[in-house]
Amino acid sequence: MNGAAAHPLLDGLRHPLRALRLRIERWGQRHGRSPQASVTVQRGRIYILPTRFGLGFALMTLVMLLAATNYANSMAFALSFLLAALGLVSMHQTHANLIGLTLSAGASEPVFAGDGARVIVNLGNASSVIRLSVELRWADGGTLAVHDLPPRDTQRYELVCRTGRRGRHPLPMLRLSTEYPLGLFRAWTTMTLRGALLVYPQPAAAGPLPSSDGSGQRLASQAQAGQDDFAGFRDYRPGDSPRLIHWKSLPRTGRPLIKQFESGSSTEVWLSWQQTAEPDAEARLSRLARWVLDAEAAGARYGLRLPGSVLPPAAGAAHRAACLEQLALFDAAAAQGRDRAR
Amino acid sequence: MKKPAASRIDALPQRSLWRLLGVMLLVIAPHLLRLPPWESAAVLALGVWRVVATRRQWPAPHAAIKAGLTILAFVGVYASFGRVWGQHPGVALLVIMLGLKLTELRARRDVVVTVFLLYFLLLTHFLFSQELWTLFYLLACTIAVTAVLADTHHAGGALPARLALRIGGRLIAQSLPLMLLMFLLCPRIPGPLWTLPDDAGAARSGLSETMSPGDVARLASSDEVAFRVRFEGAIPPAADRYWRGPVLWAFDGRSWSAPPQPFTANPPLQLEGPGYRYETTLEPSRTPWLFALDYADASALPERTRLSSDYELMSWKPVNERLRYVAQSQPRHRAQPDLSDRERRRLLTLPAGYNARARALAQSWQQAGGGDRAIVDRALAMFRDEAFFYTLEPPRLGRDSVDEFLFQTRRGFCEHYASSFVVLMRAAGLPARVVTGYLGAEKNPFGDHYVVRQSDAHAWAEVWIAGFGWTRIDPTATVSPARVEQSLGALGSGTRQAREGLFGALDWQTLRYQARSVYDWIDAQWNGLVLGYGTDLQRDLLDRIGLGNWRDMLLALTGTITATLLLIGGLMMRKRRPAAPTDAALRLWRQATRQLQAQGLPQNRGEGPRDFADRVARERPALAAPVRALARAYLQARYEAVEPTSEALRELRLAVDALKR
Amino acid sequence: MNPHLQDAVASLSRIVLGKDRQLRLALSCLLARGHLLVEDLPGMGKTTVALALARVLGLTHHRVQFTSDLLPADILGVSIYETASGNFRFHPGPVFTQLLLADEINRASPKTQSALLEAMAEEQVSIDGQTRALPQPFFVVATQNPSDQVGVFALPESQLDRFLMRISMGYPAAAAERALLTEPERRDLLLGLAPSLTPEALIELQREVQQVRTAPALIDYILALVHHTRAHPALQHGLSPRAALALRHAAQAWALIDGRGSVIPEDVQAVFAAVATHRLQARSAGTAPSAQDILAAVAIP
Repeated sequence: MNGAAAHPLLDGLRHPLRALRLRIERWGQRHGRSPQASVTVQRGRIYILPTRFGLGFALMTLVMLLAATNYANSMAFALSFLLAALGLVSMHQTHANLIGLTLSAGASEPVFAGDGARVIVNLGNASSVIRLSVELRWADGGTLAVHDLPPRDTQRYELVCRTGRRGRHPLPMLRLSTEYPLGLFRAWTTMTLRGALLVYPQPAAAGPLPSSDGSGQRLASQAQAGQDDFAGFRDYRPGDSPRLIHWKSLPRTGRPLIKQFESGSSTEVWLSWQQTAEPDAEARLSRLARWVLDAEAAGARYGLRLPGSVLPPAAGAAHRAACLEQLALFDAAAAQGRDRAR
Repeated sequence: MKKPAASRIDALPQRSLWRLLGVMLLVIAPHLLRLPPWESAAVLALGVWRVVATRRQWPAPHAAIKAGLTILAFVGVYASFGRVWGQHPGVALLVIMLGLKLTELRARRDVVVTVFLLYFLLLTHFLFSQELWTLFYLLACTIAVTAVLADTHHAGGALPARLALRIGGRLIAQSLPLMLLMFLLCPRIPGPLWTLPDDAGAARSGLSETMSPGDVARLASSDEVAFRVRFEGAIPPAADRYWRGPVLWAFDGRSWSAPPQPFTANPPLQLEGPGYRYETTLEPSRTPWLFALDYADASALPERTRLSSDYELMSWKPVNERLRYVAQSQPRHRAQPDLSDRERRRLLTLPAGYNARARALAQSWQQAGGGDRAIVDRALAMFRDEAFFYTLEPPRLGRDSVDEFLFQTRRGFCEHYASSFVVLMRAAGLPARVVTGYLGAEKNPFGDHYVVRQSDAHAWAEVWIAGFGWTRIDPTATVSPARVEQSLGALGSGTRQAREGLFGALDWQTLRYQARSVYDWIDAQWNGLVLGYGTDLQRDLLDRIGLGNWRDMLLALTGTITATLLLIGGLMMRKRRPAAPTDAALRLWRQATRQLQAQGLPQNRGEGPRDFADRVARERPALAAPVRALARAYLQARYEAVEPTSEALRELRLAVDALKR
Repeated sequence: MNPHLQDAVASLSRIVLGKDRQLRLALSCLLARGHLLVEDLPGMGKTTVALALARVLGLTHHRVQFTSDLLPADILGVSIYETASGNFRFHPGPVFTQLLLADEINRASPKTQSALLEAMAEEQVSIDGQTRALPQPFFVVATQNPSDQVGVFALPESQLDRFLMRISMGYPAAAAERALLTEPERRDLLLGLAPSLTPEALIELQREVQQVRTAPALIDYILALVHHTRAHPALQHGLSPRAALALRHAAQAWALIDGRGSVIPEDVQAVFAAVATHRLQARSAGTAPSAQDILAAVAIP
């Protein structure tokens, strides 16, 4: 938010409505309910305040009322009262526009720290009334998206959430708000949905992978080349593909020989906490994360050795995810304690 | 929200902009005719510019151009009105500013300000006219403007026009009951709160404290209602329907006026003969004069009024809202039998150096002798016997207006006759004065009331005759006796009616007269009950239901408003609950499960109908048969085909009914 | 219900005791033209079920025991060079049968697994640039040990999706186990089992399955279930459209076995666990909702 640098009191004077809104929200946060898988917006959880247009409208209506009184003009009275009533009714409409909407969180892919996590949020309108101009965003900012919700329908929205530290974090608070129909009032409610964001450590800058013997040779290029390295011949066995038969030698030997290739997946590498040279735990985890990515990209089979846990060598997306999850959830403080005890 | 890119000049999608322009035209239209022509043209031109600029994607005009236009607008309004405040210049400024706002509709804020200006501009129409049709205009305009406001606030493209109108219409419809409550119950503070500008209110014709030649004639063409009267009991004959208004006694050779006088005790007044009691509803005149038949009974004056030394019924302050009062009058009287010397002098004064021939004539009458009565008769005889004509379009008169009228033009309206008659009387030594007011009253066949219009405005003379006191003399009656018997409008149409009768045509005149009567009756109700609903009427009405004071009114207001809002809010909330199933079979099934739930057998979430029936059968064996039948019928109706067949639905309905028993 | 079908169910339950539910699921899987994965510990009667199915349905069957050194050619068949004629001649592998019993499929290398799974998906085999159609009907009944056992290659998710259902047998009930111990060997009983159906009758039944009605309300229910899994925070991915289709076919088959011409929500619920759970992956181990949880959370529209 802009102007965050200003003194809060000053800011409050400049934007009294926004300050009030934040105050209410903070109160709501303190008294908020525990996260739920699915939340239906209840009447009692909706806050409503006039917008600056609403205040302008009220002022205008007041001036019109004064003019009507001054001129003792009945039609002017009628118009002023109609507008006053319009304000009141629109307040109710704004409030009702959020009632009964249902939110639930969907899956969210794990992300690296610092990247935006995409969280799926389902916004449902079970009523028979269309809900126009419903805004959904994270309570602490993020891009605003305004949606129209058709009756008896559920829409899926993707919200990008900024991530900071690695680890498993609860979903941040969501804010659902609306200024429908006339923009004179702003109704909003906040809620926290159950769900977790898995944030991997931010990968360190590129660097060489450690080799199996720890000498730090460039494994990546070797593994890639090794994918189709010729390793020798062997005798034909039923079931071998004719493509692998070494035809050139057939007339010479009289029996088919099968070409044998060495696959890169046989390369195994251990990624270990001890091999990292970085001074602090987070940097080491970042380094390990980089290695996991590089090893997977290189097609190697890799294992992860952390203080207190070991993942045996394997390859594939699932293994990569498992390794990164280990890194994300690694308890650095405990590991340091263990180090010191040793 | 991001500010739109600089290259675009609109905050609105094009479709919304067209709508805004359309609604703007609707709201400004009635003003366009009242404004100076240059301004109407300028506003229309700005609208056209806006359309083209949006179509062609022209860049927004430079700030200096906008500032220049604004200054020009002020200068133009000043040039047209001679000032920039007051009702007319104010409206002119508001309209031109609204037009200029079209040059900057870049942010949503600009659009909202424009829409708010539209609401405000709507109010200004009612300063010019509050007739019945304006109510419909008000509703149509508020719905349209509100729809535009809703459209403005809808992010992501223009709303479909019908949806926008529906939103606007629904909002206004829900606001109407609240408006009605506020209108009835919101305590009205008697206005005005600040001094009204001189040109406040509709350009209202009516009698004032001055009268120049041509003033009353101008009124004669106005069909506007001056006041309405309802008689209690006897109704005075036409010849007695002289409604006394401002009494003018100071003459400057051309105009009559009523300069303020030091307050004096009411002069003696003896009333005789039959009296009339009547309730008058006076249209706002912005003057303190109320109108009463000659002469109002000082002992039965309406509240907050007094009787002046010239027997005028005066309100304490100018009548700015419709006023209803009950007065009592008696046409037979003896007013002010004695006149003090000071009064006498005042009422004999004529400006020196004007109208020499008339004065000479009058003095010759005085010298001829025969008493006061004889002088009066001589003057009336002159009007009757010589070639004087009563006309609505008299020739213009010069400096010695009375001389020119009496000896040259001889064509005039009531004010000419009254004015020259009083000059003649004064010159002949009789104290005399001009009385303005209305003559006549037209009965409305639908209401039991009489209507007095501005066209009934009249001027007559009063002469003080020793021994009798003030005596009313109407010289016009001498020239055109019919004027007294009939209202002026009827007088004019009489000849037309005769003409059409010759051709044996349909009696359009009667039809028109009837239509006018119906309209007048509705208009009277509208005026009396709605437009006249001010401080007094409100107190009267609410007193009757025991809400006479402010505190009770406010309590009732808050109470009823809250109740209505709760009702509206409740209805809204009801509509926003999960919708009832559209499927007939599902509705019936829900009906049945609700009933079972009431018996402690709720269907679990995700529990299939057959499983539910089996569970109920286990838990409540007595219900086994009907519930199983119910589930079977439901499954048959809901899952057997795309649409439930009518037989299946009938089965299901029977099963649901069976469960109830 | 179709008398042959009734007969088949009865015969099956004579062989596999106390497992009516699993047998019906297995049968509806085949009627819905799907492949079946039976997962359980060794010795729980997985193979017996598969063999019993083959016999009762009157299908030709082959059995392949998967091992880590099994090559794709061992299943699909090979072109063998015949020195006499100087030509390659195709020797069809065991996959060319109506019912292939793939025992312990997860013991084979991923390469071999995928060779089989491709054959399952396409119902044809491409070897040496030649496409050979598999017989009709063609079913694979695979058995697998729970993945936490040693020396197994877990089937990748994308390939699990090719099995219409995954069922597990579970321990038999006490009475059934007693009968197992006292009565003659199941394998011997199998030999004496007469087929209740012919392959032609089976194909006819498969056609009937497709004609079982699914009302819009039922489709709504399937969609609600699928959407729920997609929105579930504990699940990595929700059910795919293919899974939704599988759910529908399986429910249709279940309804047919139950003797009905239209599907009701209970049918969907009956097959849901078998159809859905192997296609769902938990975000982190041990947090996945059970099929029962999902069914209980989704209201029937």
